Amino acid sequence: MAKKLCLFLLVCLTLSFSCRYQEKWHTATLLYFDTVCEIRIFCSGAAFKSALKEVHRIFTKIDTHFSPGSDDYSSAIVFNLFQRALQVYHDSDGYFDITVGPLSRAWGFLTNSRHMPTPREIKSILKLIGMEKIREEEETLILLPGMELDWGSIAKGFGIDLASQSLMEMEISRGFINAGGDLYCWGENPDNRPWQIAINHPRKTGYLGVLSISDLGAATTGDYQRYFIQGGVRYSHVLNPHTGYPPQGKQSVTVCGPETLLCDALSTALFVSTQPEKILEKYPDYGAIIADSNGKLSFIGKAYPFK
Amino acid sequence: MDRRDFFKTMLVAPLFTPLLLASKTTKNELELYLIADQPELFISSLLKELEKYTADYGRNFTFLNSHPQEGELERILSQKEWRYVQKPIQADLTLSFSHLRQKALPSFTLVREGRIWDIRSRKLYSLWKKMNESHNPSSCLTIASFKNRQIGSFAGESVSIYKEGRKIKTISLEENLSRSFRTKGGTITAMIKDGKAWVSDSSCSHKICLYSPPVSLAGERIICAPNHFLLEVQGSHSIDTIIG
Repeated sequence: MAKKLCLFLLVCLTLSFSCRYQEKWHTATLLYFDTVCEIRIFCSGAAFKSALKEVHRIFTKIDTHFSPGSDDYSSAIVFNLFQRALQVYHDSDGYFDITVGPLSRAWGFLTNSRHMPTPREIKSILKLIGMEKIREEEETLILLPGMELDWGSIAKGFGIDLASQSLMEMEISRGFINAGGDLYCWGENPDNRPWQIAINHPRKTGYLGVLSISDLGAATTGDYQRYFIQGGVRYSHVLNPHTGYPPQGKQSVTVCGPETLLCDALSTALFVSTQPEKILEKYPDYGAIIADSNGKLSFIGKAYPFK
Repeated sequence: MDRRDFFKTMLVAPLFTPLLLASKTTKNELELYLIADQPELFISSLLKELEKYTADYGRNFTFLNSHPQEGELERILSQKEWRYVQKPIQADLTLSFSHLRQKALPSFTLVREGRIWDIRSRKLYSLWKKMNESHNPSSCLTIASFKNRQIGSFAGESVSIYKEGRKIKTISLEENLSRSFRTKGGTITAMIKDGKAWVSDSSCSHKICLYSPPVSLAGERIICAPNHFLLEVQGSHSIDTIIG
């Protein structure tokens, strides 16, 4: 009888172990960065639990350090991301610029009171714009009075890179993290193919097309999520740091490449710049899908499978 | 010719039934059916009258099959700011042509989401009258179809051929070739070119497959019932996630 009980217990134990350790697809929807984050990974139930914990840890950290209004200029993580942003700032001739904070504020995009500032206001604010105005002293950033950093076009990508890297180190070999339109995907999808990533159409319901990618990041910048219309003109939340006004001429830019951080930053730079090809010359591993103001698509830089 | 006659005439065109069925499943689709041997005479003024209803669509067009006057059609449409594109996936307007079994007076009708659509327009009315009065009976049916290509229409990747319900072959849409298949009812030949697939020859009696316009989008199919033959475009239907 004791023997039988032992055997029974053993079977139960093995069963529960195999459940806990059997790999399958898990999906979670979380809220970070004021947006919906979708995570799908292939792993065991136990690994899924720790993966979510890890993603939570990283995204919370990003949220604390890089939310609008954050004035942390000396943490290692802030200093680190500043250096990355500075590089893109130089490579894009200043079209990507995290010092646009005061501009976004003047246009009311940070406070949800969207309106057009007067040309005089813009002119005076432009004096506070430009990353070269920031001094670096002993791993601390020194800003001019009135300057404000807007990490919105790079922090999400950074967070996704950190989180996906961490999950891969936990030996999760397949999955994606999609945080409100910025994404990294690795391994194969549930159909054992590259991940099929649809890009939203900037004006209609439906998609511009589908990227078929793996071990790559992607990010979109568009004029259709936060904007207001005045006198028949659409003013988006993405602002040209050189002029102080939202750029016209493009509906959306999607960038695909190895690092989500760079996809995120470059999609903003290309959206604002009038010569996006020139910027991508410095990033040969990155490609962009651009929808112009008529919705016509063009492809620049490295070509990734897109239908 | 009045509307009832128009539909009687259309129904004898082998193309009509499958297309009307197809248009029922998709939304926002607008189709112009035009009976005229010389569609190039009317197409641009008809499209102009429809302009305010088609503002949401792009201006790319393509031909799904050939017409003797397609060069002229392309020239006329290009003058009206339409752009010719090769692949149907890039097109907002596709033109296909088929033969009516019996000639009919030139005329047209509009179908939207599978239903007849009345536009109160004096110009369209006078055009209809003029076509009916002053042109010879025609046997060419032109179907100009506006497609909301962003919704659910994705380019196919390959063509699967089914015989007797069993898949016998898969051919990439990137290829340019023609293949003949021996079937119960005889033989059937499929062509693949420029990302489109169609039946170029068939021993069947109805020839519906032969008149079916080329297919290129995932899920589109051409059926030849007498031959127990099915050609279906396969594509990446499934989307894992959406960005942007």
